[in-house]
Amino acid sequence: MQSIESRLVAVGVLFGTTASLFASEGGDQPTLFTGDLGNILWSLLTFFVVLVVLGKFAWRPILSALQKREDFIRDSLAHAKHDRDEAERRLKEYSDKIVAARSEATAIVEEGRRDAEVVKRRLEEESKAEAKANLERAKREIVIATDTAIKELYTLSGKLATELAGRILRKELNPHEHERLITESINELQEIEAS
Amino acid sequence: MNFVALAAANPMDHVYQWVYQRAHLTDANNVFTPNGQISVVSNHIIMQIIAVLLLVLLIPRFARMRASGDSVKDLTPRGLGNFFEAICAYFRDTVARPILGEHTDQFITYIWTAFFYILFVNLLGLLPLEPITRGLVKSVYPHAHHGIGGSATGNIWVTGSLAACTLIMVVFNGFRYNGMGYVKHFFQGPIYIAPLIAFLEVVGVVAKCFALTVRLFANMVAGHVLLAVLMSFISLSYTGLGAGAATGIGIVVVLVSVAFYLLEIFVAFLQAFIFTFLTTLFIGQAVVIHHEHEGEHEHAREHGHGAVEPAHAAPH
Repeated sequence: MQSIESRLVAVGVLFGTTASLFASEGGDQPTLFTGDLGNILWSLLTFFVVLVVLGKFAWRPILSALQKREDFIRDSLAHAKHDRDEAERRLKEYSDKIVAARSEATAIVEEGRRDAEVVKRRLEEESKAEAKANLERAKREIVIATDTAIKELYTLSGKLATELAGRILRKELNPHEHERLITESINELQEIEAS
Repeated sequence: MNFVALAAANPMDHVYQWVYQRAHLTDANNVFTPNGQISVVSNHIIMQIIAVLLLVLLIPRFARMRASGDSVKDLTPRGLGNFFEAICAYFRDTVARPILGEHTDQFITYIWTAFFYILFVNLLGLLPLEPITRGLVKSVYPHAHHGIGGSATGNIWVTGSLAACTLIMVVFNGFRYNGMGYVKHFFQGPIYIAPLIAFLEVVGVVAKCFALTVRLFANMVAGHVLLAVLMSFISLSYTGLGAGAATGIGIVVVLVSVAFYLLEIFVAFLQAFIFTFLTTLFIGQAVVIHHEHEGEHEHAREHGHGAVEPAHAAPH
């Protein structure tokens, strides 16, 4: 770059020398370097007119639009970042909540299962105890019924014995008769017992 | 006869400044006021005025073209407004901000103006106005030989004036933003060579602006001369070789000229860009002075003071 510039400078100096040579020739025929203060003044004037007029009517609106757009994009990016961070924070919060809720639900189900187990066991024990009680009661009733039957049997035997004694008293008993009566009575007793 | 035809087809005619009217200003006879006169009207001056009129009439109109509707559309250019705003945004974000940092918006109007001024003058120079306007010019200035046309940036006085504006911007803003620090930054190195370095630095600043002058001038002249030389082959071959050869050569010349013309359109943009870019760079060198030298630079980097480049000041 530097060497190109120095080369250009050298070319410029060369051109400048030739220009002064041509200029000293004079005449109306222009040269590559024809020009004077008028060109400088016109160039500066036109350039400054453009600078001022466009500065006011073109560059100001464009610059303000560019600045506004830059600010808008920067703000939008900042907002987007903020919103994303917020969303990520919420997401984390809700995932934590979901995890917590899930473990809570598991705990509840576990507790329910445990309670059900307890209830089941209690019910089983209760029903077993009831069954046992029922059995006991039934046995007791059987005993009572047996006692009652025996009592009735005794009463009946007594009655029969009394009746038998009356019959014996009314008759003279021989040994055969005696034996027959006893057998008869026992049979009768047995019949009664069988009935 | 042959000589007359050659003279009429002098390819340099297209790049010369043809002065139509001069005014007597002073008795001094020097390079600025030859015979005490200055040019008042010339083909280049008129081209500059046309460029100014176009710039002033067109750009403000396009600058205001916005899509409207909601908050986003209000910030969006429409139609040709896109063309100008894209260029402006490019210069602001990509060219100026890395160089000027926080000072970008103070200089951006100057940068935009320089670019579009040079661009319009360059592009207007590509229009073949001369043959169309020759009669008109002759009716006003009967002794004129040449119509309106040509590239005013192919005039070293014009490019020199623009480069002088750059030089003034550089020096003025160097003092404005750095005060005596601007003078001090020329004096570098040990005390016994500092004056020599300062002298070279000052010469360098002027030489850079002179290089701006010559670069734009030479590039614009070269393209026009090249095109004119190519075109002159047609008349030369007609005179020398006859109609048949001239037709064949003409076809080739026209095709090649079209290609070069397209190249010239590119060069018009490129040179406007280079002038503007270097102007920005020179202003940046004067306004954003680095107090670090090579050793201190590394030292600063070691200690984590990375923000030594103005680019770091950009809010991206």
